Amino acid sequence: MLNIEHFFILGILLFSIGIVGMVSRRNIFIMYMSIELMLNAVNLILVALSHHYADLNGQVMAMMIIAIAAAEASIFLALFVMLFKNARSLDANFFDLLKQEKHND
Amino acid sequence: MLSNIIFLILAGFALSSSAFMIYAKQPINAALAFIVTLLSIAGLFALLGGGFLFLVQIIIYAGAVITLILFIIMFLNIKEENLPVEPYKGRWIIAMSLLVAPFSAILISTVHKMEFKALHLQEFGSIKDIGIEIFTQWVLPFEMISILLLIALIGVVILAKKEKENA
Repeated sequence: MLNIEHFFILGILLFSIGIVGMVSRRNIFIMYMSIELMLNAVNLILVALSHHYADLNGQVMAMMIIAIAAAEASIFLALFVMLFKNARSLDANFFDLLKQEKHND
Repeated sequence: MLSNIIFLILAGFALSSSAFMIYAKQPINAALAFIVTLLSIAGLFALLGGGFLFLVQIIIYAGAVITLILFIIMFLNIKEENLPVEPYKGRWIIAMSLLVAPFSAILISTVHKMEFKALHLQEFGSIKDIGIEIFTQWVLPFEMISILLLIALIGVVILAKKEKENA
């Protein structure tokens, strides 16, 4: 029989995959999509809990997270366009402007 | 019984496509794999009785966010030399997986210890109920999210404008 535990385990696994992708990749697009994956894993757990307690608050919270993720997506992608125009690369190692400026002092 | 099979299929799709996503070299392949992940998570929402969230997930995530990502990837016209050189990508991923695995194992064993009743999957949370919930208890967060979206809009316009001044 399907249990809420299964949804929890799936959410934990998806979150872990998101962390692994976030830390081990240097392509900024894939890092961004890993963040979105983590948000989705949390959403899945929220909706499962909402169903378990027959309480709609979890679903509304998941909707708020989706709205915030949409706002985040627009800013991330505008930043990516700017960074790509400056550095002509998608490598996260190139984007160390703050570190570089501290070195020059 | 049918819901078990649906859950297993959707979970398998979500896990395998997200694993492919973090391994893909080209960002476009990662984005296409991510669509599969998002759609299977939308299916899981529907399985949990969240019909409205299923729609929101498909419209906003698979419809808007991923389309925006694909549009930007195609707009940037990424060549092979623009991609980061990651000779130790596989080793990094394996090492990070080994590092993260104990924490997930601890979380999963904690979840195991909790006592949960079996789910009786049924439709609950119609659009009307969610609307009543949002506009009674969640009015303030709802309005704050509209302000957040406005701030994001202004921020994006300012980012784009600065780039023009520099050029």
